[in-house]
Amino acid sequence: MTAPAPTPTGPGTPTATPSPTPSGTGQVPALQAGLAAEHAVIWGYGVVGAHAGDALLPQVRDADDAHRTLRDDTVALVARYGGTPVATEPEYALPFPVTDRGSALRLAVHLEEGAAAAWRYAVAATDDVAVRRAALVALSDAAVRATRWRLALHTSPATVPFPGD
Amino acid sequence: MVAVARRSVLIGGAVGAGLLAAGCTAGGPSSPAPTTPAPPDPLLAELADERRLVAGYDATIARHPALRARLTAVRDDHAAHAAALVTALGPAAPPSPTTPAATDSPAASPGVSPTASSGASPGGSPGAAPSTGIESSGGGTGIPATPAAAVAALRAAERAAAAARGTVALTAPPDRARLLAGISASEASHVAVLA
Repeated sequence: MTAPAPTPTGPGTPTATPSPTPSGTGQVPALQAGLAAEHAVIWGYGVVGAHAGDALLPQVRDADDAHRTLRDDTVALVARYGGTPVATEPEYALPFPVTDRGSALRLAVHLEEGAAAAWRYAVAATDDVAVRRAALVALSDAAVRATRWRLALHTSPATVPFPGD
Repeated sequence: MVAVARRSVLIGGAVGAGLLAAGCTAGGPSSPAPTTPAPPDPLLAELADERRLVAGYDATIARHPALRARLTAVRDDHAAHAAALVTALGPAAPPSPTTPAATDSPAASPGVSPTASSGASPGGSPGAAPSTGIESSGGGTGIPATPAAAVAALRAAERAAAAARGTVALTAPPDRARLLAGISASEASHVAVLA
C-alpha cells in the first residue's frame, strides 16, 4: 500500500485542500468501507421504522439521524482525501423477513453489527490517526446502539466482547 | 491528542536513551550501542487493566450477589478481552495472576521498565494505566456499599477503559488496532448496560 497523497480536488474548494494530515495511507478505502455500510444501514432503518411500532419510533429516528450525519461526514471526508464517495444502492437484500416489532428490532441489531464490522475494518485499514479516530467513534457508537436494541429485545447477553467480529 | 500520544512515545524514547547514555558514561565506555532496553509492550498495560476489571467485577459480585445476573456477562467480556490480549502479546504475556488484585501496577509485570513508564506518562502511555476506580480500593474491601454506587463505579471504569484502549488503538499496528478498537467498543457498550 503506497501512499496515494490526497489529491487536491479542483472544483470543490478554491484554496488548498484542508489536508487532514500530512501522512498516512489507506484513508480512502477505509472510509469507503464505512460509507458503503452507512448507505445500507440507512436504507435498512427505513424498513425498521416501518415495522418497529410507534413506541420505538423515537429511538429508530435517533439512530437513523445519527447514521445520516455519519454518512454525510464520511462523504465529506472521502472527498477531502481525494476520493469519489461511493453511492448508495437503490435497494439492499434483507437478511430475513421483517414483519413485526421483533423482527424489526433484530434487523436493527443486524444493521448495527454490520456497521460495526465495517468501521472496525476501517480502523485497521489505515494508519491515518484522524481517520482511525473517526472510524473508532463510529464503531463504538454502532456497538452501543446494537446493545440498546438487544436490551429492547431482551436478548441476553446484550453485549459482545468484540463488536464487528 | 494524536500529537500528545506520539510525543509521549518520543519522550519515552528520549528519556530511556538519556538514562542509558548516563549509565554508559558513568559505568564505562565499553558498550556504546545496542543495549537500549526494549520499551515495554503497550499491550501489557492494557492486559493489566483488563485483569483489574475482571477482578473488580468479581469483587463487586461477591459484595453484591444480587448484581450477579446483571454483571456476569460483562465480566466475561473482560475475561475474553484479557485472553485475546494474551494471545496478541505472545511470549511477552505475563502469567495469569493467581491473586488478581495483588498487584495493581503494570510495572510489576516482567519486562516492564519502571523508569520508562514513570518518566513519560502525560496521558495514554503504557505507564499511565488508567485508574479504574476499582483498583484503588483493592480487593473487595473498597467496593461501594450500595449496589447503585458499585454499578456507578463500574460504569466509570468502563468509560476509562474504553478511552484507554481507543487511544492505544490509534497508533497501533493494524492487527492490534483492530483488537483494541473492538475491545474499546465493547467497553463503550458496557456503559449502556450499566446505565
